[in-house]
Amino acid sequence: MFKKIALLVLLIVFLFSGMAFGQVLERSETLYTGGKQWGPVSNWNPLMTGNYATGTIGLVYETLFLYDPLTDKFMPWLAESGQWTDASTYELKVRQGVNWSDGKPLTADDVKFTFELGQKTALNFSSLWSWLSSITKVDDYTLDFKFKSALYQEWDNYLYNVPMLPQHLWASKDLKDVATGANEKPVGSGPYLYFAYDQTKMVWAKNDNWWAIKVLSLSVAPKYIVDLVNTSNENSLGLVLQGQEDLNNNYLPGISTLLTGGYALHTYYPVAPYHLAANTAWLDVNLQKKPMDDVAFRKALAYSINVADIVSRDYGNMVQAANPTGLLPVWDKYVDQNVVKKLGISYDPAKAKQILAAAGYKDVNGDGFVENKDKSLITLKIIVPNGWSDWMAAIQIISNSTKAVGINVQPDYPDFNGYLDARLKGTFDLAIDNQAQVSNTPWSYYHFIFYDKLADIPTTQGGNYGRYNNQTAFDLVTQLDKLATNDLQGMKAVISKLQTIQLTDLPIIPLWYNGMWAQMSSANWTNWPSSADKDNHYLPVTWNGYWNMTSILMLTQLKPVVAK
Amino acid sequence: MRRYFGRKLLIYIFTFVLAVTIDWLIPRFMPGNPIQILISRAGLKAESANLIYSYYMQAFGLNVPIWQQYLNFWNALFHGDFGISIWLFPQPVIQIIMRAVPFDVLLLLPAILVSWFAGNKFGAYAARSKWLDNTISPLGYILTATPYMWLGIVLGWLFGIILRILPFSGAYSYAMMPSLSWAFVGSLLEHWILPFASLFLVMFGGWAIGMRNMIIYELEADYSHYLEALGAPRKLIRQYAFRNAILPQITGLALQLGVIVAGALVTEIVFSYPGIGYLILQAIQNHDYFLLQGCFLFIIIGVLFANFAIDITYVLVDPRTRIGMQGEG
Amino acid sequence: MPQPKKKNEMLYFMLRNAKLRIGVAIVLIFVVLALVGPLLTKYQPRDYVAPGVEPPSSEFWFGTTSFGEDVFTQFVYGLRATFIVGLIGGGLGTLIGILIGFIAGYRGGIVDEILNMFTNIVLVIPSLVVLLIIAAYLEVRGFLFESIFIGFFAWPWAARAIRAQTFSLRSREFVDLARLSGMKPLKIIIKEIAPNMMSYLLLVYILQFGGAILTAATLDFIGLGPTNSVSLGLMMNNAVIYGALILGMWWWFIPPGLAITAIVGALYVTNVGLDEVFNPKLREM
Repeated sequence: MFKKIALLVLLIVFLFSGMAFGQVLERSETLYTGGKQWGPVSNWNPLMTGNYATGTIGLVYETLFLYDPLTDKFMPWLAESGQWTDASTYELKVRQGVNWSDGKPLTADDVKFTFELGQKTALNFSSLWSWLSSITKVDDYTLDFKFKSALYQEWDNYLYNVPMLPQHLWASKDLKDVATGANEKPVGSGPYLYFAYDQTKMVWAKNDNWWAIKVLSLSVAPKYIVDLVNTSNENSLGLVLQGQEDLNNNYLPGISTLLTGGYALHTYYPVAPYHLAANTAWLDVNLQKKPMDDVAFRKALAYSINVADIVSRDYGNMVQAANPTGLLPVWDKYVDQNVVKKLGISYDPAKAKQILAAAGYKDVNGDGFVENKDKSLITLKIIVPNGWSDWMAAIQIISNSTKAVGINVQPDYPDFNGYLDARLKGTFDLAIDNQAQVSNTPWSYYHFIFYDKLADIPTTQGGNYGRYNNQTAFDLVTQLDKLATNDLQGMKAVISKLQTIQLTDLPIIPLWYNGMWAQMSSANWTNWPSSADKDNHYLPVTWNGYWNMTSILMLTQLKPVVAK
Repeated sequence: MRRYFGRKLLIYIFTFVLAVTIDWLIPRFMPGNPIQILISRAGLKAESANLIYSYYMQAFGLNVPIWQQYLNFWNALFHGDFGISIWLFPQPVIQIIMRAVPFDVLLLLPAILVSWFAGNKFGAYAARSKWLDNTISPLGYILTATPYMWLGIVLGWLFGIILRILPFSGAYSYAMMPSLSWAFVGSLLEHWILPFASLFLVMFGGWAIGMRNMIIYELEADYSHYLEALGAPRKLIRQYAFRNAILPQITGLALQLGVIVAGALVTEIVFSYPGIGYLILQAIQNHDYFLLQGCFLFIIIGVLFANFAIDITYVLVDPRTRIGMQGEG
Repeated sequence: MPQPKKKNEMLYFMLRNAKLRIGVAIVLIFVVLALVGPLLTKYQPRDYVAPGVEPPSSEFWFGTTSFGEDVFTQFVYGLRATFIVGLIGGGLGTLIGILIGFIAGYRGGIVDEILNMFTNIVLVIPSLVVLLIIAAYLEVRGFLFESIFIGFFAWPWAARAIRAQTFSLRSREFVDLARLSGMKPLKIIIKEIAPNMMSYLLLVYILQFGGAILTAATLDFIGLGPTNSVSLGLMMNNAVIYGALILGMWWWFIPPGLAITAIVGALYVTNVGLDEVFNPKLREM
């Protein structure tokens, strides 16, 4: 008994002393982020796409260019400049005065080495080597990329995605280590250095010798960046509301109502849709099954879906309805308004019913649903992963709205594994899919819609899960890839043809744009990116691939809140 | 004695093999595979995905026939190699589990021991007088009927949100790194209280009720009446009753281990406490076969050891078993 | 055997027993709610009824969820689901337990040894973890599956208890008489032993029922419950995930857990009460 009391006293002492000795990192110098890391940090290998710690590419490793999707401009970053000297040669000038964090200089050798790794082992950019023939070093800071066939649209994508690696450290690694090693204590060229990590977070510390400080007069504001491991959505919500997390990139429902709750919350847009658009949510339609193989049926289906309901009721207006082509708002200039006017589809249940009737789909047995032309029942299932509540709610709305025109669509929520499997194997009826992300070129979207290697879909996950087969479309996509990126007219012409095919045949139906979810707390840091501020329009997102789409510049704009 | 333990050991070995085989089997016969998920997460370029797909299949040994995978698995097991995690590639599973074990020990050991001792004590008190019984019994029933996660939620909500005096997620403050300092230990304890409390309370209820019922049963036994008739003091009778009643409580502890593991799992989920239970959930959600297998194995081994320890304790405490070690264990 | 008098006597003690009265009353309240509740509400569990995050009001007795669903509707439908799982899961567990327990207890010898070993093995394996693994890898999960799985892992308790009881009963005179008269073992079990164990079986079933409810709630809470319906555990799961804790939406997570606690607690209390009725020794302290 006495022992127990003593223990209790000791406990209380610990508690209070613990609270007294508090913080290790100074709050006004530390930026807390969250929303990307869904499990403990396990590697810092920038080649392990999808697995590396938040900020590995962006804070530590950098790319040749940054791409700004909102202005559609490339910013030279590790590269000084780049241009096509002829139809199949790209000349890259590497920036001078850049050092790795261990002091050694970054030269053209490093760039060449990095790209050539893709030739030696299976990496994300290995496919480049099927159309790149060689890289020639012209001098210490100049490289010539010689192509077998130049795919201009795709090449630009590599320019802002491939992380540059230090040859002097990576050349001695064996290939297995290169492709799948953890790469502890990463050495890069970026504004931050590896500091520490544990089960719950990753801590980066400011690199005072970052090249951009002198060369571009840029300086990142936070001395430390602590990326917290997500445990759950509601946990993140709590942290943001309490000001313990400064930037959160989770999907948090109800944020729109919390903006006025006195929590010092900030989103990119102060009003709907609150967030920028990151990718399109499509309705995958399996063209291999009846009656989805009938374009009239697909049309009726498209006309019957009440997307506005999904946007307002399900998402509280945190997303926007997609335009009929499905292209993201940043690609508005490629939307052929004439084609859209002629062929574009919007919510029109009366028209849906009309099309069904005209195509021969009638309700023969009086159950309220139409049947196939051969009188067999139509019972379709639409799937989303279990637990993705916003999508689960969305397909309920879809099911209700198709029911209103007589199409029987039942919502189903298999586990993610089962959902993915059904999409990849082509065994689904209908599914929601948002695989195609924002990028530097709409080609990536059309490549997804019209992915041509149908037999490879289960392993490559390239897109076109509905298995739409149209060689004309496939050829147009390849043609688009070969167009120069500044050939706006040429691109628009090809894209217009693609849109015509897409809207005539409806292989896939665009629904809404998922957002670049970003909730920011102004309790400790201010001057966050905002739609109102032209000079600070950068993306406030820590997801992979976004740092090099200008999120890194957000850090240069932040200002700490002066201590009270 | 040897027969008793020998038989027990046999059961444990069978259990182990069966459990391990089930655990290994099930993920492999379900649709989809983890490599697909890895690739979908990585957002790869389609053309490269092909290459990477075959690379991973080989790296995880998934490209050999099933029976070979099974044998490889046992082989690796005896080398202490639980495989490489898919979700937290390329960390070895054993490393990930080892990081979580201290938190489980910190949570479970005190919760189980303290609730067992305290529960039995209070259960015995309840059997003393009607007044005590009328207070402790209902409390015990309510507590033991409470689902672990609900108690966790309510405690977290009360102390974490309404009163704001205790944190309700994580094992230690986000601003700290693990170190041997008062600050860290304090934070650790702060975050430990609520999960501990929710586990402790429910288990306490169960033991209290069990003990109370056992003691009443013992007090109604013939020998108790006999002693009473002989004029023995109530305290003595109660002592005998207690010693007899404690025995089924010991075996009860062994039987409850499965339930306790379940309780710990949900408690860890509610409080985002990084123990093995929480790991299991992550492994399932991320379809990480190897991590799931490793965690499951760990739990089975733990439970089997605990069972064995309890068996030994039982033999030590109950003189009857030592004298005539016959019959079923 | 003076049957009628015994029955009346039993009934008398049942009604007198406070624990039994309270326990049964509470369970009945919830049963009625589960049966009648869905008729009191015009919504379906997942319908949108209001903008969301509404505290309890006269229109929405239990308020609404983050998604604007009516909590009361979800609650009463969830109650139904909970009871069904308890019934089926508990029932299956009891049945299997009866099967194995009777056979082991009656036959004894090597049959008993083997069954005992089997029981011990299933007992030691933490059933929830296996349930998790199974549930996690099923694409679509329904209520029936969940109940059956739970039943398949809940039986060892029942088997053990029933086996012990069978042991003590089989050496009684009336069983010997039956055996002498050439009755088949199965018939003996059904006609002679079972009726004398009815009370005991009832106790076992009540405990299994409660246990199944708790297990189902745990599975649902982890998110591995049925994918296409509502249950109390799932409500708690959703509440936690959608920040009900942080946003102070107590009306979302308090009712489901409270209901489970009340029902299971009432079942336990009923169990003790019945035990006292059947076992005069325990009646008064």
